[in-house]
This record gives sequence, C-alpha cells and structure tokens, in this order.
Amino acid sequence: MFSALIFYMFAALAVASGVMVISARNPVHSVLFLILCFFNAAGLFLLLGAEFLAMVLVVVYVGAVAVLFLFVVMMLDINVVELREGFLQYLPTGAVVGIVLLVELMVMFGGWAFAPDVEALIQAPAPAAEQITNTEALGRLLYTTYAYLFQASGLLLLVAMVGTILLTLRRREGVRKQVIARQLERTAAGSVEIRKVPTGGGI
Amino acid sequence: MFEIGLAHYLTVAAILFTLGVFGIFLNRKNVIIIMMSIELMLLAVNLNLVAFSSFLNDLVGQVFAMFILTVAAAEAAIGLAIVVVFFRNRGTIAVEEISQLKG
Amino acid sequence: MILDLVPLMPELLVAAAALALLMLGVFRKADTSREATVLAGLAMGGALAVLVGVEGARQTAFGGMFILDGFAGFSKALILVASAMTVSMSLDYLKRENIARFEYPVLVLFATLGMMMMVSANDFLSLYLGLEMQSLSLYVLAAYHRDSARATEAGLKYFVLGALASGMLLYGASLIYGFAGTTSFDSLAKVLGGSGHPNLGVVAGLVFVMAGLAFKVSAVPFHMWTPDVYEGAPTPVTAFFAVAPKIAALSLLTRVLIGPFGELAHQWQQVVVFISLASMAVGSFAAIGQTNIKRLMAYSSIGHVGFALVGLAAGSDLGVQGVLIYVAIYLFMNVGAFGVILAMRQKGRAVEGIADLAGLAKTNPSMAFVMAVLMFSMAGIPPLAGFWGKFYVFMAAVKADLWTLAIVGMLTSVVSAFYYLRIVKVMYFDDAVEALDHPTNPPIRLVMAVSALVVLLFTFLPGPLLIGAKAAAQSLFAAG
Repeated sequence: MFSALIFYMFAALAVASGVMVISARNPVHSVLFLILCFFNAAGLFLLLGAEFLAMVLVVVYVGAVAVLFLFVVMMLDINVVELREGFLQYLPTGAVVGIVLLVELMVMFGGWAFAPDVEALIQAPAPAAEQITNTEALGRLLYTTYAYLFQASGLLLLVAMVGTILLTLRRREGVRKQVIARQLERTAAGSVEIRKVPTGGGI
Repeated sequence: MFEIGLAHYLTVAAILFTLGVFGIFLNRKNVIIIMMSIELMLLAVNLNLVAFSSFLNDLVGQVFAMFILTVAAAEAAIGLAIVVVFFRNRGTIAVEEISQLKG
Repeated sequence: MILDLVPLMPELLVAAAALALLMLGVFRKADTSREATVLAGLAMGGALAVLVGVEGARQTAFGGMFILDGFAGFSKALILVASAMTVSMSLDYLKRENIARFEYPVLVLFATLGMMMMVSANDFLSLYLGLEMQSLSLYVLAAYHRDSARATEAGLKYFVLGALASGMLLYGASLIYGFAGTTSFDSLAKVLGGSGHPNLGVVAGLVFVMAGLAFKVSAVPFHMWTPDVYEGAPTPVTAFFAVAPKIAALSLLTRVLIGPFGELAHQWQQVVVFISLASMAVGSFAAIGQTNIKRLMAYSSIGHVGFALVGLAAGSDLGVQGVLIYVAIYLFMNVGAFGVILAMRQKGRAVEGIADLAGLAKTNPSMAFVMAVLMFSMAGIPPLAGFWGKFYVFMAAVKADLWTLAIVGMLTSVVSAFYYLRIVKVMYFDDAVEALDHPTNPPIRLVMAVSALVVLLFTFLPGPLLIGAKAAAQSLFAAG
C-alpha cells in the first residue's frame, strides 16, 4: 500500500515533468523540468532495487548532462519566440501519433509474458540482497564478463572528448595568457635597464 | 490497483518514450528541446531495462542501462558541441531554417 | 584470457593506432596531418593483414559477446579496404581547403573500429556500443568543417536523426530483452526458434530495431537525412560515409535478421521487401532532377541499398551471398566515383555541379573514361561488375519466389540508368564551359585506377570474390 503510493507519486511527477520538458516556453525551464524528471526516475529505480543506477542517474545525469544543457542554453542567445513557431501547428498531428503509439504499447504491456523457459536463459542472476549489495554485484559483472564493453565505452568517451575539442576549441589571436613559468623566469637583469638621462635631453 | 507490477513500470516508460517522440514532433525548430526529448526517450529505455531486470531477477538489464547512460552522456556532449558550432555560424539554433540544403 | 584476445587482434591494432596517432598529433607542435593520414592508412592495411591471419573457423571471445566468423571477416575486410582507400584520398582535398588536421584520420580510425565491432557483435550490448562508437565519430566528421554553415548544419541534422534512431533501436532491444531475459544472439536464436507463435512484444521490438538500423543504412523511409548530409559534409567525409558505414550497417542488419531472428523470417521479410522496394524507387526517381553530383550520389546510394536488400529479403544463403557480392562491388564503384568527384576542381576551387563535368572527355580523357566505366557499371550494364552484383541478388530473389522484387528491381535499374548515362553524355558530348584541372594527386589516381580495373576485370576473374562471399554467407547459416 505504502510503496504503491510512493510509486504513483514518482511516476506522476516523472510524467508531469516530462510533459513540461517538451512544452515549456523557456528552454531554461525545460532543463529544470528535465532535472526533476531524472530525480523521479531515480526514485523509480530505487523502488525497483537498482540502487547504483539511481545514484548514477542523479550524479551523472543531473550533475553533468543536465548542467551541460543548462550551460549551453544560457550561453547561446536563443530567440524563444521564433523557436515556438509551428508548435500549435504540429500539436494535433503529433498528439494523434503519440496517443496511437502509447495505446498500442499499453495494450501490448497488458499481456506481457516472459519466454517459457526464461530462468534457463538468464546470463547473470541477481544475487540475494542480503548477500552482497547491488553496487558490488554490478561491479563484479562489469569488470569481468563485460570487460570488453567496459573498455569500449572508455574509448567511446575518448571519441566524445576528441570530437568536442575538435569542434569547439579555438585558439584566439591576441589573447594574453598567464604563463607562470615565464613570469618566474623573469629577472631584474633581463627586464630592467638603467639609462643615464642627460639633463633636459629626454630619452 | 495497489499491487504494483511490471506493467505499471512499463507503462510509465512507454509514456515517457511517447513524450520524447511527441516532443521531437512538436519542437521541430528548437534543437535543444529535441535533444532533451531524446534524453527522455533514453530514460524510458533505461526504465524499461531496469524494470525487466528487476522482475526477471537478472542483472544484465542494469548493466545495459549503465552503458546506455555512459553513451548518452557522450552523445549529449557531442550534440551540444555541434549545436554550439552551428550557432556560431548561423546565429540561431532553429533547424527549419535549414533551407540552405533543400532542393 | 590471452587466447580470448586473438580474434580481437585487428580491432586492437586499429585502436592502438588511433591512440598513438592522437598522441603524435598532440605532442608534436608541427602540423602532423600528413604523417597521421599515411600512418592511419598503413594501420588499416596492417589490420587487414592481421585479420587474414587470425580469421578461420568461427571463434568467439568474452563469453560470446564478440564473434569472428567468415561473415564478420569478409565484412571487416571490405570495411578496412573502403576506409583505407577513402582516407588516402582525403588529404589533398583537406589541405587545399585548409582544414587538414590530425584529428581527421584519428576519427576515421575510431569510426572504423566501431564498424568492426558492429559486424562482430553477437550480443545487443556489443552491437549498441559498436554502433555508437561509429555514430559518434561520424557525427563529428559530418560537422568537421566547423566554419562552414553547410557542414555544421549537415552534422546537426545527422546527429538529431541518428540519436533518434539509436533511441528506437534501444527501445526495441529493451523489449526483446524483456521477453527473452537475454541479450545474446545465440540464446535469442534458441528462444525465438522454440515458440511456434511469436510473442507480440518481440515482434514490436523487432520492428523498432529494424527502424533504427534502416536509418543507419539510409533506407527509405528513413533516408531524409542522406541527401542533405552528403551535400553538406566535406567531400572526403561524404566519400567515407557513402561506403564503409553502409557496408557495416548492412552486414549488421543481415546478421541480426538471419541470426537471432532467423525463425521470425515471415515477420521481417515483408518489412524488408517494402523497404527495399521503396528505396529502389526513391533512389532512381528522386535522383533524376539533381544537379549537384554529391546529392546525386546520395540518391544513388539509397537505390543501391534497396538493391542490396533484395538479397536480404530472400533470406537464404544465396541471398546473403548476393548482398555481400553487391556491397563489395558497390565499394569499388563508389570509391572510384568519389575519386573523380574529389578531383573536380576549376582553377583550384572545388566544384560539385554535374554540368561542371562537361567536355571532360576532351580535357582529361583518362578520368572521363574511368567515370564512364563506373557509371555504366552502376547502371548495371553488362559485362561490367555492377551487372553481376544485381544479377546475384535478383537470382536469389527469384529462387525465393519474390518475383515482384526482382521485376521492380529491374525496372528501377533501367530508370536509374537514365541519370547515370546522363553523366556520361555530359562528359562526352557537351562542350566545356570551363575545363577541370588535371588531378595531380597520386593517391586519387591510384584509387581511380584500382576501382576501374576491378569493375572491368570482375567478369573475367570473379572467382576470389564469389568464393569468399559464399563461404562468408554459409558461415552465417552454419552457426544457427
């Protein structure tokens, strides 16, 4: 009973903030609703017993990805009015497509069945929660069975890094940067010059 | 009603997925909202995977969800970088102004 | 664990080369784009040699997540050849446009690595990571010319639609996992083969997965991005896009449909037939009115994907053999044609109009001859290689009683002959307004010569390709 109420609260908030993400007038509000949506989804993950993923969702998604979105939205000077053009125009078609898709999916989920001998197929049965924690169980899988994919995802993050640097890093001309080493290298002998100035003559 | 089963979670995920698709339809001009809609779709996929993982008592679904989170973060970074360079060149992020390549 | 790594040697070599080139570029202050390009080409050649060495019987690694069988080996060889040829042609163009940077070959290497992982995927997780490794590199490459509004626009479009396709694919994969409780292709083949009446959730999942993959091969109705991206991206990137990623995605689609979903052939066959028909039709009719040659090549590639899918629709080992022969021939035709497009310059400035080819037969007869051979081959005129590619897929379709596909395929290839022959007409019978510069770059000339030779000689020496494709196709069916 109590957990059902919690489920409905998280689910309703996640869906409501999802609606706000796509319909808010201001992109900054959209990002903030996206963050709310992630928090509630993390709650749902907790209810399902996926503690580690719930934490990752909050730390990585809210902490990094959503903040990156916020950063870009604020950095770019976006004309909100212009971007809203066509919103109402597409609303009826979009709503029909969306509702049809949703009803079809829900009909399908109503009678969801697993494969007949599904227990035999499971690759990594979850250990009982009393024995080891969710995080440890995931770690044991990730660094052994899934080592190949773990390495591959490392390379993938490197690709993302190279790509973003390639696209956005620019060396600007005429910008003075502080180079500590050069500051420390400077001595009086190299930078100060003593000149005799004749009286009334100037330099 | 008070017995929360697999179908409940799958329905929430389906609603979020539909919202993502719907958001792409509605906000055709605003790339940033489109990217957030894609994030919603991926969140729905993750919810699906975690729900299945929990009800099947199998950890592979959670491992899959974790890789999706990793890749989606990388994807968002690249997408936003492309948006930034696009904005530098055009001074707007409206996609439908992409008339330059029509024809 | 050491033994486990042997099938991965080619991938490891490519990954190590990419990392080494990245370090070389970062630590050396001078411009290293030339060295990086040469070394990237060599690394791909080396990976090809290693691949030939380790290939053999069906081997799996990492608990069956990675597979190296004849099919994967054949596709990987094609991917490596295509990437090496396109990367070697790129340098001159990038230098002239002043956008040569060492990151270009590095990203091409990462994209190639992703494609190799894709065709060796034997699990939805490894499929997804390989696919994304490829896609992320390609998004960046499409927007590579970051000061050009057209290129960044192409990158943005490609990114948005690509990410949407990945989302669909994942949703489908999650449904399939939810039914079967496994993501491994081997186990899926067993589960799905057992049940007589297919589960609704699995069918829905399969449709989502196919939609995602159809986007990646740019088949109709998921082709909208192709012309814009091909036109907007820098030409060497377009040349790369048109060949290697297509081969990888087609191989992946073939493996997924024949392997884990082989027993659901009745479900997916209709979808593949529809996609194939629509792609052939759009590819031939929409290309007629084009004036930009890169856009034309985009529609042409959509049409070629349609032809290759005819073989997949047959669903037999003969059909898969046809697909492999088709993509192999497509590789050489397309790389050669892009060599000509890359060499199209007037007074040092790159041009892309079909009309700019006018009078090429007089100003540069050898280049005109190469282009004419390639265009005749693409149109499917015997005895050139392109004819045989179509012959094998249509034969497979006829054997599988898919008469509609074979007949529509022949009709659309007649229609498409119209615009391929128009290019030949422009080169040989129109008068030049302004002559094109002579290509001075040895790699481009070499690539053009190799592709023209392959296309011309295939009829007389089809043996190696036919035997290789046959063995590869049979390896896919033997396992299941």
